[in-house]
Amino acid sequence: MTSLKELQARFQAGIMMGNDAALDDINDSATESRETLFGVYRHAYGARLAEVLGNDYELTHTYLGDDAFADLARAYIAAHPSDKRNARWFGRYLPEFLRTTAPFSAHKEVAELATLEKALADAFDGPDATPVSIEELAAIPPEDWANLVFTAHPTAIRLRFKTNATDIWMALNDETPPPAPVQLTEPQTVLVWRQDLTSRFRVLGPEEAMMWTEATRGVRFGVLCEMVATFAGAHDAELRAATYLKTWLDTGALSCVSPDCAQSDLVMGTAH
Amino acid sequence: MSETKPPYLGFGLGLRPEHYDEILSGDPNVDWFEVISENYMIPGGKPLRVLDEIRERYPIVMHGVSLSIASTAPLDLDYLTELKTLADRVNPKWISDHLCWTGVHGVNLHDLLPIPYTQEALDHVVDRVSRVQDFLGRRLTLENVSSYVTFAESEMSEWEFVSELATRADCWLLFDVNNVYVSAHNHGFSTRDFLHGVPRDRIVQFHLAGHSHEGDHIVDTHDHPVCDEVWDFYRETVSHFGPVSTMIERDDNIPPLAEVIAELDIARRIAQDVAQAKQVIAAE
Repeated sequence: MTSLKELQARFQAGIMMGNDAALDDINDSATESRETLFGVYRHAYGARLAEVLGNDYELTHTYLGDDAFADLARAYIAAHPSDKRNARWFGRYLPEFLRTTAPFSAHKEVAELATLEKALADAFDGPDATPVSIEELAAIPPEDWANLVFTAHPTAIRLRFKTNATDIWMALNDETPPPAPVQLTEPQTVLVWRQDLTSRFRVLGPEEAMMWTEATRGVRFGVLCEMVATFAGAHDAELRAATYLKTWLDTGALSCVSPDCAQSDLVMGTAH
Repeated sequence: MSETKPPYLGFGLGLRPEHYDEILSGDPNVDWFEVISENYMIPGGKPLRVLDEIRERYPIVMHGVSLSIASTAPLDLDYLTELKTLADRVNPKWISDHLCWTGVHGVNLHDLLPIPYTQEALDHVVDRVSRVQDFLGRRLTLENVSSYVTFAESEMSEWEFVSELATRADCWLLFDVNNVYVSAHNHGFSTRDFLHGVPRDRIVQFHLAGHSHEGDHIVDTHDHPVCDEVWDFYRETVSHFGPVSTMIERDDNIPPLAEVIAELDIARRIAQDVAQAKQVIAAE
């Protein structure tokens, strides 16, 4: 008798690698050959995982077109068999795969577009936390402000892009033709997070990007104001810092503002 | 494991994101919802928020797709822990998954793969079900899957295997009416033999779904309305088992909620017809 363990190993290899040893274990039906019947499982494997990728990376799919995305899906499925029970995580390596695997790696904007889609998806069902409101900040005595530290919402992630992937994302999301890919002269900082139940992203200017980075590393507000002054001039520095802070609060990007917050900034992307 | 049989819930639907807004803003004529467990085994955000709201208003049943109960790979304790965490949050009426395996060697194929109906496989699955039930602290409900192949070494019928499993592992059964129809067509057995071959006292739920014909075989695609032949078999199933919590699964080409509810109403009418016919017969 064939052991169940061996049978399952052959069956799986037959599906994933096209190995025909599994056919010896199964019967022809009255109307169909075993090859045809086993083919249902072979076909379903690739089709289902390609569908998962297409759903998770909808705009990358649109950008590449059906044929190129099908090629990508086949290559990715072969390189990264699913190792999680939940299909939600199957496509998590796709941005890195695009960045490092020819011929996709020649088109830098594709990896960054996928990075943005993944970050938005991760923010969508990422951990919950109550955002700090502007009223809560206002209740803190002014003399304590210099000592304030900040915690980003747990879904917040900072990306660094070298291409116009965000412009491409916005065009595709609006169902309009995307702009031609462009290499940026300076890397762009993109903040992705979830505001209430909606994933959002925003391109940060260089000064705000610097302040966000330092703030989420635990630098106190008083020092942040000095850094802002050094970055782009002392005139209005505190006002600029306060404006950035207000934007973060208005958009639900902070989950703690107090002299005692913990830090949790995450960085990913293609240009650290 | 001492546990009373789960309650009869009436007529339910698979909860799908496409219907979230309509369910929350209206009062659809649905008695309960079944959720795909894995869709909510996530850290947070909208899916869990919506589920929290819906479970305030409707009974919920959890239905998994990757327990892989018949796999020869070790039980995935991370998965089971997440499943239990979700169950603690949702407080489902029961937790179901499929009598199948989904992968070995650390790989998940995300498909409901068939098992040979052998004594070896039966012993293996009975042991796994018992261990999972101990871990979850409740009985599992297992569903018969649609299958496309049979194994040369099978020693018993699917319904004999299912019956032995339910009795020995002391678990509940989800009788998927469409899957019995699909497998019967593909393998040339009688749906009636299956129907009469599984123990009535173990059945806690029915599934109904649509399928697709591919040449001479049928594939369980859940992307069509329930077909007439499956409705006929549902009538026979209800007549045989009596009232059992019934729901319609739709996973692709998902129509507006009203359309799925209209389909659910067909199930209601059939169950009502069967009940009335039984009353008439009993009165005579």
